[in-house]
Amino acid sequence: MTRKKVKLAYIEDLSSRKATFRKRKAGLMKKMYEISTLCGVDACAIIYSPFNNEPQVWPSNEGVQDVLSKFEELCEIDQSKQKLNQDSFLRQRIRKTDEQLKKQIRLNREKELSQIMYRLLSGEILHNLSIDDVNDLQTKMVRFRKDITMRIHSLEEAEGHPINGN
Amino acid sequence: MVRKPSLGRQKIEIAKIEKKNHLQVTFSKRRSGLFKKASELCTLCGVEVVIIVFSPAEKAFSFGHPDVDSIVNRFLSRNTTPQGSNGAVQMGEAHRSANVRELNMQLTQILNQLEAEKKRGEALNEMVKASIGQRWWEAPVEELSVQELEQLNASLQELKKNVTKQAEKLLIESTNSSSPFMQVNGINGVGMAVNNQFETKPNLINLAARSIPQGFAGFSHGHGLF
Repeated sequence: MTRKKVKLAYIEDLSSRKATFRKRKAGLMKKMYEISTLCGVDACAIIYSPFNNEPQVWPSNEGVQDVLSKFEELCEIDQSKQKLNQDSFLRQRIRKTDEQLKKQIRLNREKELSQIMYRLLSGEILHNLSIDDVNDLQTKMVRFRKDITMRIHSLEEAEGHPINGN
Repeated sequence: MVRKPSLGRQKIEIAKIEKKNHLQVTFSKRRSGLFKKASELCTLCGVEVVIIVFSPAEKAFSFGHPDVDSIVNRFLSRNTTPQGSNGAVQMGEAHRSANVRELNMQLTQILNQLEAEKKRGEALNEMVKASIGQRWWEAPVEELSVQELEQLNASLQELKKNVTKQAEKLLIESTNSSSPFMQVNGINGVGMAVNNQFETKPNLINLAARSIPQGFAGFSHGHGLF
């Protein structure tokens, strides 16, 4: 299995597109089988392509018919709750990825501030700190000292008496 | 504290999952992955697809390109005489695909940004790993003794004074100058071995420059730091 990163755009070259379609279609059908077996759920897939005259289906024409009937039986509201097309699906994916991105940025910022703080604690003189760095550093140190104080108190409680005569 | 790494990708048997919540989690993840694969197939190969899955709770999830209903209807009426596609439908499709193209580009961009930030996070983790063992105060709070905590606290207090001083200086400078990119002239680090204030405390020793050979085990519990 090759692991080249594929650009998310229409493949212009015909033979390449055809090959990709063949492989990915097979993979998709396999995933359909897996999810329906692992989770014991009803599912179906229909693919129309310029490479085949007949639609490619899973599990079978009859199986698809059954699932479609079950689907059509649902009222419009129940169907639409989770009905996606490329547009809505991609928007959803973009939104979720954006959340992950924001979270990762926040995490990285915390790590970066820790680094700055520890380097200062070890006696380094740092120059290129921005206003934001300085402000965020203050906030972090206040929080950190609070944690330390809490920890000292809980340790002293565990000992039953204050240590170092504080 | 090293967190146990996750199990990663494990080969599983394709048979109905027994545990109910495991089943639900699997369904959620796989359904999401399935739609992702279908979306990619449509983008890469320009084909039309519909996927319908019912959840364990019998909720219907569907994905379709160009849309679920048109493909479903197309399939259901496949045995009747085929109709030619009309111009309006084709126009709609062209418009839609331009929009989808843009969305795919946007998605690619944000995925790249996420990957870059993740790499940055890993690099930061490496820096942390490298310095642990040399500087005891970088260990998690839970691993430090009371004396170490108090020394740390005091150093932080000292450092905070320096930082606040610089912050005020920056504020004054920024109101005087128009440049938004003010650089701090240098916050003086507070050596953990700051001498004067700790001279009266007999048990604390000068630790900053020395690397501690035993690692942290020796510092977790004892009152003495030897």
